[in-house]
Amino acid sequence: MKKTLLLSTLASATLFAVAPVVKPISERTFSQSQYMPDISMIMDFSYVNHSISDAELQHLEIPGVVHGIMGTHEHGGSSESTYNAKNGFNLNYAEMVLSSNVDPFFSMDAVLHFSPEGVAIEEAYFTTTALGNGFRLRGGKLLSEFGRQNSQHHHFWDFGNMGLVNEAFLGSHGINEIGAQLQWVAPTETYLMVGAELLQGTNEAMFGNAQIGEEDAVIAEGERAPSLYIGYVKSSFDIGSTTILPGISYIYGSSRLDHLEDEDPHAFAGDSTIYAADLTVKHYFDSYSFLTWQSEWMMRDMDGTKYVDNAGTIDSNDLEKKQAGYYTQLVYAYDQNWRVGARYDSIYLNDVTAQDFPEDLKRYSAMVEYHPSEFSRIRLEYNRNDSLFNEDGERQNLDTVMLQFNIAIGAHGAHDF
Amino acid sequence: MKNIFILFLLPISLFAHLNIAVSYPYIGAITKAIGGDHVKTIVLAKGNWDPHFIIPRPSLISKLRSADALIMNGAQLEIGWLPPLIKRANNPKVIPNAPTFLNLSHQIELIQKPTSVDRSLGDVHPDGNPHFHLNPNNILTLAQSISNFLTNMDTQHGEIYRKNLQSFEQKWKAHLAQWQVRMKDRNGMKVIQFHDNLAYFNRAYGLQSIATIEPLPGIPPSSRHTLSLIGLIKEQGPCCILHDVYHSTNTAEYLAEKTGIKLIIMPHDIGALDSVDSLVGLFDYLSEAVHYD
Repeated sequence: MKKTLLLSTLASATLFAVAPVVKPISERTFSQSQYMPDISMIMDFSYVNHSISDAELQHLEIPGVVHGIMGTHEHGGSSESTYNAKNGFNLNYAEMVLSSNVDPFFSMDAVLHFSPEGVAIEEAYFTTTALGNGFRLRGGKLLSEFGRQNSQHHHFWDFGNMGLVNEAFLGSHGINEIGAQLQWVAPTETYLMVGAELLQGTNEAMFGNAQIGEEDAVIAEGERAPSLYIGYVKSSFDIGSTTILPGISYIYGSSRLDHLEDEDPHAFAGDSTIYAADLTVKHYFDSYSFLTWQSEWMMRDMDGTKYVDNAGTIDSNDLEKKQAGYYTQLVYAYDQNWRVGARYDSIYLNDVTAQDFPEDLKRYSAMVEYHPSEFSRIRLEYNRNDSLFNEDGERQNLDTVMLQFNIAIGAHGAHDF
Repeated sequence: MKNIFILFLLPISLFAHLNIAVSYPYIGAITKAIGGDHVKTIVLAKGNWDPHFIIPRPSLISKLRSADALIMNGAQLEIGWLPPLIKRANNPKVIPNAPTFLNLSHQIELIQKPTSVDRSLGDVHPDGNPHFHLNPNNILTLAQSISNFLTNMDTQHGEIYRKNLQSFEQKWKAHLAQWQVRMKDRNGMKVIQFHDNLAYFNRAYGLQSIATIEPLPGIPPSSRHTLSLIGLIKEQGPCCILHDVYHSTNTAEYLAEKTGIKLIIMPHDIGALDSVDSLVGLFDYLSEAVHYD
């Protein structure tokens, strides 16, 4: 019997050598395609009309909070800007998501972020699947799960841009760092989750640990990495067809912000803390129609020394920044096809040592979405941003209209609440 | 001393049941019938929601966190909502491929398995039509497999599960005979649906589904498709529109107004309508609903 099998295999091998036939996957001897991870690709493309030219936008700032928020920044050797930053067409990204079980103990996920500026590993982490007792450990590069919006990918947001306070404090990537995350779900009837993260601490908008200054002229000592610590507690309960999800978060890390090469050379070294709270309330009318109210509040305290380069001599001054803001948004899904939403952003506290900065920094947004299917979405959005100032300290009101297309192919993506 | 020991043991023995999480109410009903007092079933989805689009409320994470086992429908019906809950529950007992995880679709030969899948054909289920529990004959197979599953997990009470299964089978077979008789005169009847979720029910009783109100699976009704349905209804004269409880009946009502076709609401699970509160009740309702005349 075995011989016949062998012979027939040989015979077929000779035959195939003459006329190759592609066998079905299940019959290919060494084919491993059954082990292919789940793959999907999500593309985000937009047409944008800003009331201010691209060249002017580059230099706009939120005084005391962030410089060049709509501008390009250096990132791992390539420059990139925030989403929908340019007038005209924007290809925000084509994002490839790969995920699979590794073995009985781990699963792995990777999100590769392709943009016209290059490729970045947005996320690549393992997750334990066998720890039990409600524990889960993750390691690699990941989006921190503090707050509400930070861990969600852009295509999941209800608006084409991040909450103003999130982006102003943490930059357009949020807290997206290399490190470890431990989460525990309590064995209670009410959902209660506690998480702790230990991260490298290189967020360029607020944190950092690299030494400032050259080897022979150290301005501020570096801090040993990892230098960013995050903790959060989330809970959730239902009242009939309404789900309520509150959370509180705490972030602490060293700050080393080096802008000595900039036009206006300065640097900051110290410690920074963020206190954050978020609340999501979602009411369902049926399987497809719902009303969601989502809000996030953040307050930061940056305490350290500011260094200013005055034509070669470094002056140092104590600097403390106490700043706070929030966004609050309401989204109504009429059915599977249509959604409308409105959002209000505010940075209302801008207390910086020895300087007087404006505290009425606001943005208003409205959007309407059409979903032809679960896998495609067209969104028309309007933003009015009253938080931006030019270099002469004059307020610049920015009006933006965006038509966004978000398209997904491949494995069926399922989302968290 | 001995008494104190018994006192300590008492609460444990009171709660010595298995917590079985199940995705849909019908699975809960079968599991409860087999497991009896030895299981506590935790149903994740509400019966009146679209089974494809269950909202992954965080409270469901807590339910999975403390479950001893998970039984799901499978065939990708839960693909849009269950995986993120499992990923967050941090409970090795409810992850796919665990011995305490049961995928019911593996026990059933699925119909309408597409030979090729492409999303331009809508959101097709690559493994076949997943709404197999609506053929009441399949309930017997599912009950057997749930009984085996519980016995493997809890051999101590295996005898009880076997007995419960026998008594469930006996009663169910009596009902099957009744439904068979009641449905006999509906053989060959042409129907229209919103989504083909009654495929197994139709096959069991010889109903012929000639069209769906959604132009393609998962794609909401379009005016062009609706107009073509009016033509089809006039030409083929189907008896009725069998409509699920979770989609809007607007298009169906429009069709009824234009052609005079009868609109019948067909619950898909326990709890889909307030009056449907058991598995027997579900099929009683379905077999009665198609006898509108």
